[in-house]
Amino acid sequence: MQKKSLNTVIGKRASNPRFQINFSLDIVAENALQLSWKSEILIAQHNEIIALQSLIKHQLDAYVIETIASYHCLMIYFRHQMITSTEITEQIKHLAKHHQQPTQLTDNSLSVDCIKIPVYYDIEQQWDLAEVATRCNITSNEVIEQHSSTIYRGFALGFTPGFCYLASLPDTLHLPRKSSPRTQVPKGAVAIAEQQTAVYPNQSPGGWHIIGQTPLPMYNTCNGQFNATINVGQNVEFYAISKVEFIAMQQGLSA
Amino acid sequence: MSQHCLEIININGQASIQDLGRLNAQHLGFSAGGAADEFAFLTANQLISDHCSMTEPNKHQSNCPAIEITLGQVSFRANTECVIAITGANCKAKINDTVIKNWQCYQLKPHDMITFAMPEHGLHSYLAVAGGFTCQVGQKPWLGSFAQTQNEMALGFTGKPLITGSKLYCSADANDLARHMPVNANKPISSPTQFYAQHSLTLRVMPSTLFLKMSHEQQQHFLANEYTISAQSNRMGYRLQSKPEQSGSFEQKILAESLRERCLLSSPVTYGMIQLPANEQPIILMKERQTMGGYPVLGSVMQTDLFRLSQMRPGEKVNFTLINHQQAQQQLRAFYRKFSLL
Repeated sequence: MQKKSLNTVIGKRASNPRFQINFSLDIVAENALQLSWKSEILIAQHNEIIALQSLIKHQLDAYVIETIASYHCLMIYFRHQMITSTEITEQIKHLAKHHQQPTQLTDNSLSVDCIKIPVYYDIEQQWDLAEVATRCNITSNEVIEQHSSTIYRGFALGFTPGFCYLASLPDTLHLPRKSSPRTQVPKGAVAIAEQQTAVYPNQSPGGWHIIGQTPLPMYNTCNGQFNATINVGQNVEFYAISKVEFIAMQQGLSA
Repeated sequence: MSQHCLEIININGQASIQDLGRLNAQHLGFSAGGAADEFAFLTANQLISDHCSMTEPNKHQSNCPAIEITLGQVSFRANTECVIAITGANCKAKINDTVIKNWQCYQLKPHDMITFAMPEHGLHSYLAVAGGFTCQVGQKPWLGSFAQTQNEMALGFTGKPLITGSKLYCSADANDLARHMPVNANKPISSPTQFYAQHSLTLRVMPSTLFLKMSHEQQQHFLANEYTISAQSNRMGYRLQSKPEQSGSFEQKILAESLRERCLLSSPVTYGMIQLPANEQPIILMKERQTMGGYPVLGSVMQTDLFRLSQMRPGEKVNFTLINHQQAQQQLRAFYRKFSLL
């Protein structure tokens, strides 16, 4: 089955457009501003969000503590002792009006390497693969084929360290969250909910449907730094591995 | 080499190391965490600072990690000489058998026992030392902070949970200071109880754009309710319950379905946001909140009121009133200015 190209989703843009003020700016705390776009999962819109995020981080470095992007929002924490919320709102509007979007981000995201995640799509351990297949009215093999034949994008990191929200799942696999969340989801669980898929970085409670497990760690730490395996704006695809490969990789990684 | 530390001899409540939190790792999914009650935390550091300034006027501390004790019931043994400050909920602390006053500095000598009982009011007490406490020798901050959070601790970040036998290390400087600058007599201080609420608290809220889209009647419904703090509240969030009969005079729900349907995608959340799940029982996000949320948000409680709220217990009452963001920002600035944090 052919992978769906992102080009068909994004479309080509002729030149570098300026940022449009197509977002609302709301002061949501003494030290936080939230920029909100249309409440939809759109790659072009998300490109705009992370391009503006990068611009704000660089141009307003002295005032900005932290920026967090998600599907349609950008949260900006600022040093409220140095600048008022009204002033920083004006500065952000000014930046957005007077800067062009950087080329590499408007072009499209295919230039960014695609992270490949091995998954043991598992029926043996009684996770949710069979139930997902029944509820979606397809076979388990079709669930696997559809989940592993799409290129996803990292839209947001959050919930727990290294958890990256990926979208969009093929329509056929959309299901609401489980009515009652599991108290324990295993480390590396590959799960789906609504339009999203994700890997649980550690054992934790969780309300998504588990269809498999990856031996790949979702983060590493080195010299006091935390590095997530999947970052916001990156592309991700999943590929099926056997149980034997899963165990071999898990042992190889922990050795 | 002997290390300067306090050792936990017995613990029935909860204790953790806290500072002002890990504000710039939320984009990686790390909870900000931090001291639940910044007023008591910063006062503890200020008391130490004031004591140090008698010998070293330029030495100032405000964000040094302190021990946050929740519901008292913990005792420590000193294995070093050091000066400590205690603030927050009054745990009728004792050094050996002597009852000591809250909001003061004290001198500890090796083998002294300091004991905290369950407080009658409030939740969190703070124990600070010159240079701060860490739970490992020579510990470096993790992503800019020493604050401990439950989820991250379970993943192996931010040190180990504090239990019986845990050692809280302080620097050799803290020991030197105590030997050269003993606490002889404390200045009489007026107890800062005026900062805190007595049995109910009116939380001042900056309304969200969603709130402003609600009808006048729905807004009034939310503002007129009195809420009780639920037993399920913790450092992550305060869950509130309204009495069913209060809503009787309002025909509509607080949030109409048409507005609720607009809030489906998860987005970043901040300290103090008021989430409204479908059961219409609000949740106020506190210091140890997760970084993302999916529930509709009615507004954000101003931070100086959140410090007050953090000391309130299940069963106590709160209600809401509106404030604009300029006023909230001015209050927070004034608050930090008092602690020389500008």
